[in-house]
Amino acid sequence: MMMKKTLSLTLMVILFLFILVNPSWGQSMSSKETEEWLSKSELGRYEPKVYNEKQIYEKARLEKEVNIYSYSSRVHQFGKTFEQQYPGIKVNGFDMDSTEIVTKVLAEQKAGNFVADIIFLKDPSTVLYELMEKGYAFTYVPTDLRPVIPARYQKPFLTHHVSLDILVYNAEVNKQSPVHTLWDLTKPEWKSRVLFPDPIKMPEFTEVLATLVQHSDEMAKEYQRVFGKPIQLSKGSRSAGYEWILRILKNDAVIAGSTNDVSNAVGQPGQQKPPIGITAFSRLRDKEKNPKLVFDVAYDIQPVMGVATEVVIAVINQAKHPNAAKLLIRWMMGDEKGGQGYKPYFVLGDLPVRTDQPAPKGSKTLQQLNVWIADPRYVWDHGQETRDFWLGHLK
Amino acid sequence: MVPSWKVLYNRSRYTLTKPHVVIGILLVILLTALVIIPFLQMIRDTAVWQETDRRISRTAQPGEWTSFHYKRVFSSPLSLNIFYRPLLHSMMTSIAISLAAMAIGALMAWLIVRTDMPLRKTIGAFAVIPYVLPSYTLALAWLDFFKNERIGGAAGIYQYLFGAPTPDWLAYGFVPIVITLSLHYYPFTYLLVSGALISIDAHLEEAGEVLGANRLTILRRVTFPIVLPALISSFILTFSRSLGTFGTPYFLGAPVRYFTLATTIYSNISNRTPAVAYISAFILILISMFVIYTNQKIIGSKSFVTIAGKGFRHRLTFLGRWKHFALIAAASAIFLAVLIPLFLLVWQTLMLYPNDYSIGNLTLHYWSGKSNPALAEGETGILRNIQILGAAWNSLKLSVIVALFTGIIGILIGYAVVKGKKTKLSSLLEQQSFLPYLIPSIAFGALYLSLFTVKIGPIPPLYGTFLLLVLVCMAKNLPFSARSGISSMLQVAGELEEAATMVGASWQRRFRKIILPLTLAGSMPGFILTFIATMRELSLIILLVTPNTRTLTTMTFRYVEQGYSQFADAIIVLIVILVVGGEFITRKLGKRETF
Repeated sequence: MMMKKTLSLTLMVILFLFILVNPSWGQSMSSKETEEWLSKSELGRYEPKVYNEKQIYEKARLEKEVNIYSYSSRVHQFGKTFEQQYPGIKVNGFDMDSTEIVTKVLAEQKAGNFVADIIFLKDPSTVLYELMEKGYAFTYVPTDLRPVIPARYQKPFLTHHVSLDILVYNAEVNKQSPVHTLWDLTKPEWKSRVLFPDPIKMPEFTEVLATLVQHSDEMAKEYQRVFGKPIQLSKGSRSAGYEWILRILKNDAVIAGSTNDVSNAVGQPGQQKPPIGITAFSRLRDKEKNPKLVFDVAYDIQPVMGVATEVVIAVINQAKHPNAAKLLIRWMMGDEKGGQGYKPYFVLGDLPVRTDQPAPKGSKTLQQLNVWIADPRYVWDHGQETRDFWLGHLK
Repeated sequence: MVPSWKVLYNRSRYTLTKPHVVIGILLVILLTALVIIPFLQMIRDTAVWQETDRRISRTAQPGEWTSFHYKRVFSSPLSLNIFYRPLLHSMMTSIAISLAAMAIGALMAWLIVRTDMPLRKTIGAFAVIPYVLPSYTLALAWLDFFKNERIGGAAGIYQYLFGAPTPDWLAYGFVPIVITLSLHYYPFTYLLVSGALISIDAHLEEAGEVLGANRLTILRRVTFPIVLPALISSFILTFSRSLGTFGTPYFLGAPVRYFTLATTIYSNISNRTPAVAYISAFILILISMFVIYTNQKIIGSKSFVTIAGKGFRHRLTFLGRWKHFALIAAASAIFLAVLIPLFLLVWQTLMLYPNDYSIGNLTLHYWSGKSNPALAEGETGILRNIQILGAAWNSLKLSVIVALFTGIIGILIGYAVVKGKKTKLSSLLEQQSFLPYLIPSIAFGALYLSLFTVKIGPIPPLYGTFLLLVLVCMAKNLPFSARSGISSMLQVAGELEEAATMVGASWQRRFRKIILPLTLAGSMPGFILTFIATMRELSLIILLVTPNTRTLTTMTFRYVEQGYSQFADAIIVLIVILVVGGEFITRKLGKRETF
């Protein structure tokens, strides 16, 4: 008897608390409040025609600080130079995974508990469809920069820089790249010798795979050129892009847990039969941290040497420090020589979107490289299918 | 006949005056808030279309009910690769790990607590460290020895010694996962079993001797049954933790595509399709619930009171000529599980360039170096970094507070469960306290994020506060302290408290003067495990910390991402030092408090 009572009491408590919590689920800011905030912050269609640094700085000084969620730890470097340039404004940089940034922002927006002012992250398709489309994040492109950034990097969001995923080979054993086309990776001599970063663990590589699928026609044409006959699709694969994924999996590609693992494995000196691997272009910087590594980027690969993915900056809805946010975004975009604010990204492997900036030392410009740029809309629509295809054919 | 209201009233009044019932009810309410509500939200999410499902299915309607997630897990073309095969791998590795870890841990506990093995104090001081070290350090050490050309890089030492490449089965997959993780998890068993062994009165064993039993029979018929509850608790803890662990199984399994269910959970959460992850997590929870249920059946008839109101004495077993053999076995386990990985870890923090083991490459820069623009982009060593020191302070503060509160709640849970044996309330409590252990940390953190960013009734939003970190860590670590609270309470005779009740001592007084002192030694494992786990916690709190509540572990991310593993490893070594120091102090304090 006693137990029944306890149980029903417990249930009542649970229900009570549940009801208390429930109404807040899925609640979002009304567009009226957003509109008010936009006009007060002079963002969106309320943005003045001219970028007036002095005026923004004056307002930003009253805001005292700015909170930025960043996928990259270099936030602490440009944060420091920003604080020197604009005394009186503190940069609270918070570095974590892109996924975690999105999760946090969504929770903050739904609860009306606004902490983030700026987000700086990968995974543009999610930013576009889950944050911007819902009015949780907005684009801010300082007006003075509009002429020097190609339109595709200003709309629908501002791209800070582009990062590339490419193929690397061991430069001690090979004078030049031992492979010349993506289809080489499916050949028997590379069985068990291709390292591929796990797309299940790193969403960026889902973007890479989806982009290859998107360009299936070119992949098919390249197959014809390499093997001299049209491609025969296996059961279950719908296009040449999928067929490539299937064949590298069948060729026993080795799944790597991080891009770092790939560059270390490929670049270690003293190997007799080193593997090749797909990794991030920016891993080239590992050679500065560990001068013994001997890997190089394969530039001359058909149909493309790699896939480019975008890194996004956006202002968060209801941000409490909108002017400091504008000032920081402007700082992060640098100047025509690179600039203090952009300096942490002015390195081998990251490519600026500004057309007036030179490429970092030792690198070509984005326009000169033969790459496909991942399309956030295609990735949103087909990325998951590609991921599922990979998962379904692991074994 | 229906009892009259008066009878009912009197009965409930009588039951409600029993302290264990009152405590039980209070604890159920607390756990409901901390555990059950997040759990219900999980259940709801599995049956409702999520925003991100729009990517998976054209027909998704966020907010509407659906069975899509269940179909995807159990009966889609993907099921074999995302569910059934990983489930099989999870079960196989977890059972093997638990058995191996229990064998190592129990033997170690017996040797250290109950025998005259030489150097047992020294060995005892090292015995918990494997759990303090991140399990991937052991995994890294394993690969240094056994890796072959499959994952590139330099060949392992095995290949160098034997001239032949290591076979894949020895380098990756099931075998290394089981070996490294059982060496990592044996401290659960070690702590719980040594807690139980300490409280065994030598009289019990002597009684056996008087009756003419030989040493083996005494061990089998007297000692073993007494430590059985602790052994079973440690099986549950190890088994469930192995089911849920992601890092090392992934690290050692991915090269041969050997994935476990935890991988599925992790990847679905990072893919922001948590509903699918929750279903897999439920399966793990069901499996563990079944194990706990079986455990309750066994314990129900076989628990033994060892702390009674009589004199108490400790006696050691003399090992004779086995002494040195035992020492070699224990020392080599410590050597493999502690010294080698610790040595590698410390060495890695001293390397100017990573992976270069030459003497000329050694430096203290990553520890105490001043800013040098030519190195590590001008970062100073971690001991000069104010942010890191602040985070270290946060970590310590958090771990001590969490360990203290969970420890006390653990004792209370033990009290309510043991005194209320066989009642629904007590089994409800036992089950409840175990739930958070099985919900993947990152998911649990995400649930707390969505629940506590808003105002709940009179409670302001806790997001961004230190209190929220305390709450989430407490909830997550309750099983440790609940298990050790229950095991230690099982050994305390009811007569002790009854005697005090007879002389009119209030419940508070009985708790302070009798129950707390008697169960403190047995509850120590829960305290220590919680302290360690909180010091090392990352995925649970990463979503809940804000810049001023950062802890040490959340600082490693930036260095790993930038490829400065030396800084990240130095932080881990710092954590190890703090934990070992903390454990040492705890033990000293614990000793003074016990009899």
